[in-house]
Amino acid sequence: MGKTMIMKIMERAAHKEVHTGERVWCDIDWSTARDFGGANCTLQFDEITENKGKVWNPERIAFTFDLQAPSHSEKVSNNQKIIREFARRQGIKHVFDINRGIGQHVLLEHGHVLPGDVILGTDSHMNLLGAVGAFATGVGNTDIAASWLNGTNWFRVPDTMKIEVTGEFPCGVSMRDFLTLLVGDLGAGGLDFLAVEFTGDAIDRATLAERITLCSMVTEMSGKIGLILPSGAVLDWLAERAGPEARVRAGAIKPDPDAVYIETRKYDVSRLEPMASCPDAPDNVKPVREIAGTRVDQVHIGSCTNGRFEDIAAAYEVLERGGFKVSPDVRTIITPATTEVMKKCAERGMIEKFLDAGIVFTNPTCSLCTAEHYGALPSGDVGCSTTNRNFIGKVGKGSHTYLLSPMTAMATAVRGVITDPRDIVC
Amino acid sequence: MSDVLKGRAWVFSDDVDTDLIYHNKYLAETDPKKMPQYSFEYYPGKENFAREVKPGDFIVAGKNFGCGSSREHAVYCLKEAGVPAILAETCSRIYYRNAINNGYPVLFVKGLSEAIKAGKIGDGDDLEVDISTGSIKDATNGATFHGDAVSDLERDIMSAGGLIPYLKSRKKDVR
Amino acid sequence: MMGRTFAEKALGRAVGHPVNANEVVTVEPDFCMSHDNTGPISRTFKKIGVKKVWKPERLVVILDHGVPAPSSDHAVNHKEAREFMQNQGAPHFYDVSSSGGVCHQKFPEEGFALPGQIVIGSDSHTCTYGAFGTFATGIGRTEMAAAWATGNIWFKVPESMKVTAKGRLGKGVSAKDFILKVMGDVKSDGADYMSVEFHGDGIESMSVASRMTLCNLGIEMGAKNAVCKPDQKVLDFIRGREKSSGWEVLWADPDADYVKEYSYDLGEITPGVAKPHTVDNYAPIAEVAGTAINQAFIGTCTNGRLEDLRAAAEILKGRKVAVRTIIIPASWNIYREAMHDGTLDALLDAGCIVCNAGCGPCLGAHMGTLAPGEVCVSTANRNFKGRMGDKESFIYLASPRTVAMSAVTGKISDPREAF
Repeated sequence: MGKTMIMKIMERAAHKEVHTGERVWCDIDWSTARDFGGANCTLQFDEITENKGKVWNPERIAFTFDLQAPSHSEKVSNNQKIIREFARRQGIKHVFDINRGIGQHVLLEHGHVLPGDVILGTDSHMNLLGAVGAFATGVGNTDIAASWLNGTNWFRVPDTMKIEVTGEFPCGVSMRDFLTLLVGDLGAGGLDFLAVEFTGDAIDRATLAERITLCSMVTEMSGKIGLILPSGAVLDWLAERAGPEARVRAGAIKPDPDAVYIETRKYDVSRLEPMASCPDAPDNVKPVREIAGTRVDQVHIGSCTNGRFEDIAAAYEVLERGGFKVSPDVRTIITPATTEVMKKCAERGMIEKFLDAGIVFTNPTCSLCTAEHYGALPSGDVGCSTTNRNFIGKVGKGSHTYLLSPMTAMATAVRGVITDPRDIVC
Repeated sequence: MSDVLKGRAWVFSDDVDTDLIYHNKYLAETDPKKMPQYSFEYYPGKENFAREVKPGDFIVAGKNFGCGSSREHAVYCLKEAGVPAILAETCSRIYYRNAINNGYPVLFVKGLSEAIKAGKIGDGDDLEVDISTGSIKDATNGATFHGDAVSDLERDIMSAGGLIPYLKSRKKDVR
Repeated sequence: MMGRTFAEKALGRAVGHPVNANEVVTVEPDFCMSHDNTGPISRTFKKIGVKKVWKPERLVVILDHGVPAPSSDHAVNHKEAREFMQNQGAPHFYDVSSSGGVCHQKFPEEGFALPGQIVIGSDSHTCTYGAFGTFATGIGRTEMAAAWATGNIWFKVPESMKVTAKGRLGKGVSAKDFILKVMGDVKSDGADYMSVEFHGDGIESMSVASRMTLCNLGIEMGAKNAVCKPDQKVLDFIRGREKSSGWEVLWADPDADYVKEYSYDLGEITPGVAKPHTVDNYAPIAEVAGTAINQAFIGTCTNGRLEDLRAAAEILKGRKVAVRTIIIPASWNIYREAMHDGTLDALLDAGCIVCNAGCGPCLGAHMGTLAPGEVCVSTANRNFKGRMGDKESFIYLASPRTVAMSAVTGKISDPREAF
């Protein structure tokens, strides 16, 4: 019987044949932690090894600081310090401090991620690395601390759903809108314990940024991992960063033609329209035109889901067509995912135009997505955001958030009310 | 072993996310013992949970409990408050892992989501729960439910008391 | 008759007749500045029972302490300020946007700091505007609420202290090094209640930005206000941006009376620091060189201007920082200029983190709070215990050049080694 991508990944890591539903122990390629959860991991590791333990492989552990970069509370500052000291003591060199950006993106840009890798992290959106065919998953501190003991952890081999996406996006519509539609279709628990393989010509054409957007939100359907077989320009980019091994490893995780899928869904995006996740749940989905005109107080563009250069460039185009001015009644904040993204925005002269338009452009970090940073909302305010969650009170008690594509978010910033971007760009 | 635990029910809806269980505002906390004070602070109508929960009370929830973040705080804050088990129709996968890894029981209860919506089990109901058999009785209104305890490797990890003690006891088997 | 000091002239002009030190006068402020604390002030204002601010166009509110809001508590304060300004029909509101920045930078940039005028601000570093020949002083929230209601504020006309500087600063030495030395000599209470006047060709040779650094730190010696002579550089700066026509260049008479005088030759000033935990705990750089640091910070109303960022970039260009280095331009205009001339690029290439304009970690609110035991070398204005985070952290105040050089080596270092 044929194997799916996740089965091939787990077979490499478990050094044996695997079957769906089975529990297997996998070798871990990277076990990472952030300034959120990271100190919990190091303290737990020290506790269980009575301060005497050495991590299994310091070359395979990375720390990334993005929850609060720079820190805005003494507690987080102290957690960051605990991590830095642990890294020094254990000889862990891969510490991406507060000047780098969002963890998974930084690891990717630095060429640390290969197709087929098994990666743990204290970030429920680790699985966006499925965009390059890696099995990355968010876990708690116990899982991380345990993996540092001997470089393994347990997994249940999941069933896989195949989602085939075809067609060209119409003007004003992006991968984010497709994703929002999908979250609405499948619901918050729609992919519980499942892996997903995204295929189809729309995926083949998708940029790395689009693939990241798509895979990141598998979490919002409780999925284990969304995987895309690296191909074309994405594989070239990856090989350039991570070395030629990326091509070999990509070849090794190609699903068998007779692989068995629990379900196959097909979507054609050529007639899709801009979509929104309405308060207070990602799966509360409506077309943007149905909520157009809703007054908003703040617009935020960024996060691991939509904080890459292409996302910011898409918003930039809407701003340009909208006359390079945002509504004075709306606070608009852009947060690039990484320093590399920020520098690219600066080189293209985009940051200046954003500032001229009245937009706050912050340093790369998770910004208000994770812990109320950079744009927490007061009670009663309505926010729009390209992030991945709009749970009740997530960015401030009594506030409400709409999740939108970068284009819709910027169209909304320009007009001051929720706006279908097609009204501006098409 | 047939230990019937008795406690009150705290009832929650489907898709209770980790920000509702333990808000991101308090993520910097590293001491599990300090986490219970923040439990459900953001859950509308359950803001009093942290103050009023008693050791022995149960969490009763619908589908996809604990969706969202990977924060283990969302398990610690209930475990440390003395909640002996979570009774949910289903549980989100990261939350499930975090519970198992701490030896913290989660019973998967078929039909619980509908029963909650229909008011067949309510806040403050007196529950009698047998963790080993999965039998759940609502002594206040007589309704009964059946919960499936975990199986396979998860059961072994649970009975060892969590992932760390499991690894320590089974070093040979685990590469 | 004895000549008059700047303070006597400015307050005399405001009341319409000559006044002398130690008299008590009541004046109408030309502008009232407040920031994120506007919300709490507005609550006190409402308690007074007056509905409308006496002159809404005299209020200037600039959000800067926590922007964008780092917590929902900050967000609630911002919302309160926003709604108050709207309800009062007060036009000068600087919200969270790319036209904002630290209040003491934005206030002059927007043309509110004008020679001879009276400005009160609900922030202790309001004295910064003395660089423009303004009589500017920080007050508390309750007093601000009262001023909004009545349009009046009382002052005891301060006695004055004269600081004279001759000559030029040497290479690698900054205005910050000079004022740190002055603070060490005068001590943190040495200018209590006084008006500090900066005189001499050494001051005239300095840029307006450098003079802002000097006046900004007046409060750290206990001063009511601090001031430099408004010369052509100042007039050139304010031309075209002034928000009021009722200003006048005022300066002390040569025979004015001073209770204290200090004189310096700028050529003898060396790089220096204020050691933890007081601003007057001065040490020449040689005495502390080699002290290991965990964080470097360049920014704030004291040293977040373009010349500060350029001075840092000059050292950091082609080098890499060894510790986390946070750069926060004092305003978005400065951010833009630094982007244009390649300064930001040089800082990013060196591994610095460049944040959005605002107060940043200066008061421990966000963007680089310190952990226990950590040491930060900073261009800010206070190194009090716990100011930037944990009470067991340590802050050394220094010039942007010293901070930049220290960031490169990971320990406090003399910036003159860079040249």
